[in-house]
Amino acid sequence: MKEDYKIERVKERINYIEDVLASVAAGDIDARINSEVEDDLSGIEAAIDLLIDDLTDELKQRKKMQKEVEEKLAKIQEQQKTIFQQQSDLLELSSPVSKVWDNVLILPVIGTLDSQRTQIMMENLLEKIVETGCTISILDITGVPTVDTQVANHLLKTVTAARLLGTECIISGISPAIAQTIVHLGIDLSSINTKATLQDAMIYAMKQNQLSENVKLHSLFADSDENEE
Amino acid sequence: MLQLTTDSNWTELGKYIIKTEHDIVQVRQLIRVHAKEMNMGIIDQTRVTTAVSELLRNMYNYGGGGEVLVETGVVDDKNALIITCADEGSGIEDLDLAMSDGYTSGMGMGYGLPGAKRLVDRFEIKSEKNIGTTVRVMKWR
Repeated sequence: MKEDYKIERVKERINYIEDVLASVAAGDIDARINSEVEDDLSGIEAAIDLLIDDLTDELKQRKKMQKEVEEKLAKIQEQQKTIFQQQSDLLELSSPVSKVWDNVLILPVIGTLDSQRTQIMMENLLEKIVETGCTISILDITGVPTVDTQVANHLLKTVTAARLLGTECIISGISPAIAQTIVHLGIDLSSINTKATLQDAMIYAMKQNQLSENVKLHSLFADSDENEE
Repeated sequence: MLQLTTDSNWTELGKYIIKTEHDIVQVRQLIRVHAKEMNMGIIDQTRVTTAVSELLRNMYNYGGGGEVLVETGVVDDKNALIITCADEGSGIEDLDLAMSDGYTSGMGMGYGLPGAKRLVDRFEIKSEKNIGTTVRVMKWR
């Protein structure tokens, strides 16, 4: 009888261990066996409690780390937003068109020309051409490190659009390395007026100005001559 | 991705992913740095950078992005900078046509691939319909 009772007792305790393990598995990390008896089985029970402790610590640590990661992620997303914002601001800022002389506009291009930027650049330039009535614009590409077919295509389109508005477009600042590369690529830029430096382009623009000035004076005198007769 | 034959004596300098237009600019700048580190002159640097730029654009525009592998090694007794661009796009149907000047399937000028070929010392291309395109260019040093 005594043996039977002992076996019953052990069975109960094992069942209880199972219950505790089940509740831990279900997420109740505070569940423990906390055996009050001292015998062969209590060693196992204590060991299981220890394991649950370790697991709980791990879980807590993981939750903490997860929270940190989430916080960092939110921060990064916030920063990314700022970067996008600044990028679009930069796009606006990076295509300044300024009138530098009678009739002469300058558009310095620095960095890379992607389709979005070219679009903004072209819009700015065309608007300014209409606004100022300038007949010469200089596109300075000294600050463009790589001219591939897409960039060349964009430049060609910009020049063509400016020409449609009656403005002559000069491209300046083509480095020797870029000149060679363009030739090897097989791009034909001969339809565009190009100059090596911004200075050359300015001199050319002023000469053109002088010419048109002379033509104006000439027609003015021609008019007054007619009047005298 | 389509693989081209490689040599065991080549060492990898870098591997990059192209997903956005911004990646093109970044990888292009890195290629220039690699070329500079190999003591290439400014003209060769510009050539190889521009050639790679064409390939990256094709990858981005037609292949939906892809992978770039930069290596250095000895090819035909010459030190070479080796750049392999691979995408998993729809592939090029007629390679001869794609390699001819002035032909474009999109909005470009049609000088990308043939131009890139003229800018480098060796040019290999492999393309299969619906599997993708892999292009490898080499520049001697």
